[in-house]
Amino acid sequence: MDLSIIAQIVVSGALMGLVYALVAYGFQLTFATSKSINFGQGELVMLSAFFSLTLMNWGLPYWAMIPGGIVFGALMGLVVERAAVRLALEQKSEGWILLTIILGLLFFSSAENIWGRDDRPFPTPIPSDPINILGIDVTPVEISVAVGVFAIMGLIELFKRKTLLGKAFEAVSADRDAAELMGISATGTVKLSYALSGAVAAVAGILVSPITTVGPTMASALILKAFSVAVVAGLDSGFGVVVIGLFLGALEGLASLYLGSGWREAPGLVLLILALAVRPTGVFGKTAIRKV
Amino acid sequence: MLRVDDLHAGYGTAEVLTGVSLEVGAGAVVALIGANGAGKTTTMRAVSGLLKPRQGRVLLGGEPVEGLPASRIARLGLAHSPEGRKVFGPLSVEDNLLLGGYPGLPRFFGFKAKADAELARAYELFPRLKERRRQAAGTLSGGEQQMLAIARALMAKPKVVLLDEPSMGLAPVIVQEVFATIRRLKAEGITLLLVEQFAQSALDVADYAYVMERGRIVTAGTPAELRRDERVLAAYLG
Amino acid sequence: MTAADWKRFLLVRGAEIAGLALLAAVPLSVTNPFALGLLTLLAIYGILLVGLDVTVGYLGQVNLGQAAFLGIGAYAAGITVTSLGGGMPAALVIAAAVCFVLGGLLALPALRLEGPQFALATLSFGALTTTVLNEWESLTQGAQGLQVPRPPLLGVTIDAAAFYWLCLALLAMVWISMRNLLSSRWGRAFEALRDSPIATDAMGVSAYGHKVIAFAIGSSLGGLAGGLYAFNFQYLQPQSFTYELMVILLLGVVLGGRKSLWGAFLGSALIVLLPNLLSNRLLFQLFSGIGLAVAAFAAVQGLRKKTAQPFQALAPVAAMGLLLVGSLVVTNTEDWRKAIFALMLFSVVVGLPEGVMGFAAGWLSRLFRVSPPALPAPAPLDAVLPARATDGSPLLELHSLERHFGGVTAVDGVTLTVRAGQVHGLIGPNGSGKSTVVNVISGLYAPGGGEIRLHGKPLPRGSLYRVAGAGIARTFQNLQLFGELSALDNVMVALKGVFHTPLPLVLLGFARLEERRAQAAALALLELVGLAQQARTRAKDLTYGAQRFLEIARALARQPELLILDEPAAGLSHPDVVALTGIIRRVHERGVTMVLIEHHMDVVSELCDVVTVLDGGRIIAEGDPETVKRDPRVVEAYLGASPEAAHEAAAAGG
Repeated sequence: MDLSIIAQIVVSGALMGLVYALVAYGFQLTFATSKSINFGQGELVMLSAFFSLTLMNWGLPYWAMIPGGIVFGALMGLVVERAAVRLALEQKSEGWILLTIILGLLFFSSAENIWGRDDRPFPTPIPSDPINILGIDVTPVEISVAVGVFAIMGLIELFKRKTLLGKAFEAVSADRDAAELMGISATGTVKLSYALSGAVAAVAGILVSPITTVGPTMASALILKAFSVAVVAGLDSGFGVVVIGLFLGALEGLASLYLGSGWREAPGLVLLILALAVRPTGVFGKTAIRKV
Repeated sequence: MLRVDDLHAGYGTAEVLTGVSLEVGAGAVVALIGANGAGKTTTMRAVSGLLKPRQGRVLLGGEPVEGLPASRIARLGLAHSPEGRKVFGPLSVEDNLLLGGYPGLPRFFGFKAKADAELARAYELFPRLKERRRQAAGTLSGGEQQMLAIARALMAKPKVVLLDEPSMGLAPVIVQEVFATIRRLKAEGITLLLVEQFAQSALDVADYAYVMERGRIVTAGTPAELRRDERVLAAYLG
Repeated sequence: MTAADWKRFLLVRGAEIAGLALLAAVPLSVTNPFALGLLTLLAIYGILLVGLDVTVGYLGQVNLGQAAFLGIGAYAAGITVTSLGGGMPAALVIAAAVCFVLGGLLALPALRLEGPQFALATLSFGALTTTVLNEWESLTQGAQGLQVPRPPLLGVTIDAAAFYWLCLALLAMVWISMRNLLSSRWGRAFEALRDSPIATDAMGVSAYGHKVIAFAIGSSLGGLAGGLYAFNFQYLQPQSFTYELMVILLLGVVLGGRKSLWGAFLGSALIVLLPNLLSNRLLFQLFSGIGLAVAAFAAVQGLRKKTAQPFQALAPVAAMGLLLVGSLVVTNTEDWRKAIFALMLFSVVVGLPEGVMGFAAGWLSRLFRVSPPALPAPAPLDAVLPARATDGSPLLELHSLERHFGGVTAVDGVTLTVRAGQVHGLIGPNGSGKSTVVNVISGLYAPGGGEIRLHGKPLPRGSLYRVAGAGIARTFQNLQLFGELSALDNVMVALKGVFHTPLPLVLLGFARLEERRAQAAALALLELVGLAQQARTRAKDLTYGAQRFLEIARALARQPELLILDEPAAGLSHPDVVALTGIIRRVHERGVTMVLIEHHMDVVSELCDVVTVLDGGRIIAEGDPETVKRDPRVVEAYLGASPEAAHEAAAAGG
């Protein structure tokens, strides 16, 4: 097969993989502070995309819509934190997995009934005519995905490293009790992490929508791959999700090329199960010390 | 400055504290001593809010704080350097110190400039921390981690400092260094409640001491009085 | 049998037999194919949910793969019949076997970690299954669907009623064998490892191995149900076995009540009736109204008794209220199906976490006052804990043992010998490394360096389970009991040398005699620690002191070569400390070698033959208790440096 076609597929796959990485990064944010993740995160991606589309239908320009979508995502993250995660932790149960799944289902059904089941185009001012870079066709929309992913991840990493609140975030994930003793509210930090995670989901929704179109099921495949990326990379390495996301995206492109497009989802799922077998804490993850 | 009245607390079905009362005056160093399992650490945790008291009062500067979340109590001016040091392992030494000053610092930017004086004081107190300020706290030796934990507790200029077992697990030479530090803090007029297993050393620095046994205070007095008390030695060596 | 035994038998078994007879009699009077179809589905989902309950209820793990196993079983059975020309029995066996193997293969990696990874792995497995069923067209016909004939059984054509009876018979068989399994040592191990996987390993019961087997069994029931599903519908499509079905299955288990066969059955009834409920608007409104009333009642109860936080109490009310409003406003309920499931599940998970059965069980047992079966007489202690010869030969040898955590050296070259028959005290100030030493010996931590030998042979490193197998038992400083199990069951989990019946015979109910013997042996050990009267009490409801003693009895059930007691007196009241020394002395008399970590010096001097003192991860003294107590280094380690030394240090340091 022509090498340039393969290169083409690897590059567009990898660019898509960055979106998986971004959603997986959202899992890491909440896992760090509360050891929980939102199983309904895909629905947050989808809801935020729908909401952003609605904002534009109301006449808001694209660039003005973005902050609105992000704020919406953050608010939804807070809803998940209160109605699923904190509620389950108050009951001292592992019920948060079930409750986040349930909330996701509720969001999904609401979207179906509010916006309909059909896929809709998501207008963007960024052109989608391919430009040729080193023999590979890339669309500006695809490039905007990469730029957006790195921008938001970079911003959050800067926040974590350069501001005191960000350092407090890290402190809570290192030692919850000790952080409380420094005057840092652990529950407040968990809330913050869910708001950030929701905002990240919204950004992911806004970035992929021009490519995938917007519909209730737009994120159901995406979220599975984000899970894979998070588990394979480990739930505590921001660098790891980018590497694994790029890798998985490329692998997927190749799988659909050689095995047929129906097998597109398979590599991520197989990779996840393999990763658990070989290195359960993830390729870039840290091993925990058991305590009695 | 700190008053504890009839404090009850425990875990699950076990009631560990059965009515602890004590008082720490401003500028005083008060020691809480007793054998292991007597409830000293539980007392500290119940005072600082890590453990919710079941009954009793905790007054910080006259204000009741029992039942508040630990982060609130910390912001009201109580610093607790916990048992086992609990430094933030992945963060740098300097970040650990800055987080110690969290209550009084701006949340986003400029916090480092504002904490400058306190940082300088911490480094002056523990020059070794200055050398290692960029190093991850988890890679420090046990003694250095203890220095960091003490320095971190002082960063917010608290009204009262609780030091829980600062000598735990340290080599004897380091233990002496830790006590030398406590003496310096005392000289600076810092109000301290010190939990110590090393009764002798604790009595050397304290103005007043309480002896705990099985969840309650069994005796109290000045170090001179307690040294003459047979029960103190008995509480330790049986 | 006593009167109480008869009463229990009639009530418990009677309810099951009556239920079965009633269900079996239905086709004799009802010929409506729709009703029969629902009942058949009820039996099939019953099997499926009993299997799901093994992981969700007993293991306490969120399993999102059961729908996939239903699909795999269905396709395996279908392909057996269509491509391999097998009959129905062969198809069902193959369906169950394929899922048993696949379930085991999935569980091997997925159950190594606790937390969300397991749920994620099963979720991915489900998605992968759908992909494979869709894409492997040569085998499954893909999206076009697979036609499955219902072959005659033993030459007899199976009509709807006969097929229903077949499903019901299989449900009854599954019911009985799962009851046998779950009331055997297997079921106990499943529950134990949910409460404390660490203690399960330390009692020589591999937490990991049991989890994998439990998951494989649950999956094989999913496969069996799948086989029946295939012959019931006779047409299979990959999209029948997706995530949405999985959520409905979870709803069934949670609403019915976890850890209960009746709960699984109730749950399957709910799943079967749900689509019909949603298609009838009036029925749905009625149902929502009842749901709201129940939720409101529970919320008021919870708030009044202060068992629930306000948000927690009100959330289910809000959800059910929303459902009621929805049922009045929305005309096409089918469109909102998922939201309706979500609101119902939410209310149940938050408001009724024990499920209907969990709620009803307590109520029913109060109503009928069924007493548990009488316990056998305790076995003679000589049989349970044979007295050992105590020749004082070296039993456990540590050589230059080391362990670091980050920059901190917790154990710094410890060398010591524990001799057979002795009580060896390990003391030292807080943080001196005692607990780390025993955690390294017992396999919780791998040593950073050095050697550990038992009877001169190297001990396995870094595995609680294998160290337990080598003959070392331990207790935990922070109690690690199986809180939900009774005191008796706690001891029975650890019991060594009693259980020999292989798994298939356990399923057939051949483990009862062995179970009685085990109860007798466990009772003897409970008697030894003075807890025989509380044998039936749940461990988490025991007093703190009793919990400490129970840990000792449980460790003794291992018939250990060496028993490690990690601060058994911590937090005990004075009378309990006296009782503890009595227990340790009685155990010592039976020749059990012990390592005793303790802070109470009075306990140490009273019990120990030899004492080793640690400080800063090193040994600073060793000898008989009286000598050690007077050693100036020990006094210094305990009470701190003398004033002069401290002042010198201050002068030098400051």
